[in-house]
Amino acid sequence: MAVEGATFDLRQGEIVGFLGPNGAGKTTTLKMLSGLLFPDSGVGEVLGHVPHKREPAFLKRIALVTGNRNALAWDLPALDSFLLLKALYDIPAADFTRRRDQYIDLLELGELVTKPVRNLSLGERMKVELAGALLHAPEVLFLDEPTLGLDVTMQKRLREFIREYNREYGSTVLLTSHYMADVVALSERVIVIHRGKLHYDGGLAGLTTRFTTFKTITVVGDGLPPDIDAWGEVVERFPDRVTLRVAPDQVGRVAAGLLATATIDDLTIEDPPIEDVIERVFAEAGEET
Amino acid sequence: MRVLRLGWAYFRVIAANEFQYRVNLVLQLLNSGITLATGIVAISLVFTHTPDLSGWTREELLVVMGLHIAVGGLIGALVRPGMSQFMQEVEEGTFDLALTRPADSQLLVSIRAFRVWQLIDVIVGGLVVAYGATSIEGVGTGRLLAFLAAAAMGVIVLYCLWIMLATTAFRITRADSIFDMFDGMYQAGRWPVSIYPGWLRGTLTFVIPLAFAITVPAETLAARLGPGSLVLGLLVTVAVTALSRFVWLRSIRHYSGASA
Repeated sequence: MAVEGATFDLRQGEIVGFLGPNGAGKTTTLKMLSGLLFPDSGVGEVLGHVPHKREPAFLKRIALVTGNRNALAWDLPALDSFLLLKALYDIPAADFTRRRDQYIDLLELGELVTKPVRNLSLGERMKVELAGALLHAPEVLFLDEPTLGLDVTMQKRLREFIREYNREYGSTVLLTSHYMADVVALSERVIVIHRGKLHYDGGLAGLTTRFTTFKTITVVGDGLPPDIDAWGEVVERFPDRVTLRVAPDQVGRVAAGLLATATIDDLTIEDPPIEDVIERVFAEAGEET
Repeated sequence: MRVLRLGWAYFRVIAANEFQYRVNLVLQLLNSGITLATGIVAISLVFTHTPDLSGWTREELLVVMGLHIAVGGLIGALVRPGMSQFMQEVEEGTFDLALTRPADSQLLVSIRAFRVWQLIDVIVGGLVVAYGATSIEGVGTGRLLAFLAAAAMGVIVLYCLWIMLATTAFRITRADSIFDMFDGMYQAGRWPVSIYPGWLRGTLTFVIPLAFAITVPAETLAARLGPGSLVLGLLVTVAVTALSRFVWLRSIRHYSGASA
């Protein structure tokens, strides 16, 4: 997938969610920024380096982790692969030992690092891969679907670890994921691309505001008015609870009206699920291209 | 220095792991023993019919055979595993991760995998060469050093050939069948190339340069070649090394550009 006209800057220490449907050009962009591909035109600059020159000084400051691939040696225990990475990245012995022990502790790796990587489950493998990728304390971390195929507990563990790493080392993280929970938990800023073009760059909250065409209002009470359909589109109806879909600019009027005219025990206003918002963003982006 | 340091770090870690699989040692000992026995029987059979083979004596042929075993062991232990892994990664599309490492890609590909037990072939072959060499008249330090230099250059040329063969993985699938072809040709190297007809001699010298790795060093030890051959060998080694480096860098650049 070609990437064209996607311009963005990343600030030091921020975690940015990089979103787009399959084939949008996310992986291509990550590969370009980590030096694996050279662009036909345009300029990519990371940490003052041109990535595709693949200068060792640059490669020592970044890491690329992809969820479905192994960077560690398949037949070796992770501990041994860590030693190889120490030599490869010229990591000072004290830093190496401290980080290795810290990651083993944070990711609860325990005995896993002594078993050949081929004997580990997908989730366990991802944990040791991530530990290995961060041994040289990269300043920029490209994460391509790091939680792909993992169960929710493992996803949560990896997210916590990434946040902890970002906090301690002040590194910049560019993250792609199909799991919106990853993006919501880690990123304040998101970049949306579609067919290689940039469609949104801003806060996650702003994304919701801009692309939300409705909000939901749920009212709970015994005396709900029979003409409640007049206030909005009914999504769910129970004798004592009704959920309405309402245009964002009508939310205040509808909520106030309901509170004034009916006996209501509880009223909640919610944004639609982030997955629905993203679906809408992708759909709009698709119409534009 | 970094090349040696990294190479040693990889070798040490991989060897320590392989040492845990002792059964591989037994299998390799068996394999080396069979190779040695069949080689000796073949040479003995030849010399029951003729006093020399195209001018080669029994001792000189022992040197050729020993070198064939040792070089085969060296390639099998240090070169082939890395190349196989590289070609498999290219086929599976996972090779690009290796390009994010802060080391020369050719170096990394060359040091990432070893089969330590196959070094037994180097020891066995070395002993056969030593036995043959002591039985050849007039072998002194100078000739021994010239032999070692010629053998080292031959191994470098073979390594370069493997690197170039491995880059075919970028263009064709199932490229590992090329390695089977190499194995087939390598068997021809157990005899001096001078005994073969012209076309095969040419192939074993210029296409699969086994002549440089095996026959030339043996001829050096038997004082059949003068110092001029060593100089020529050095020039060939430098040229092939430069060519393989060029092919490697070009292939990597092509790979980076094309996989988008």
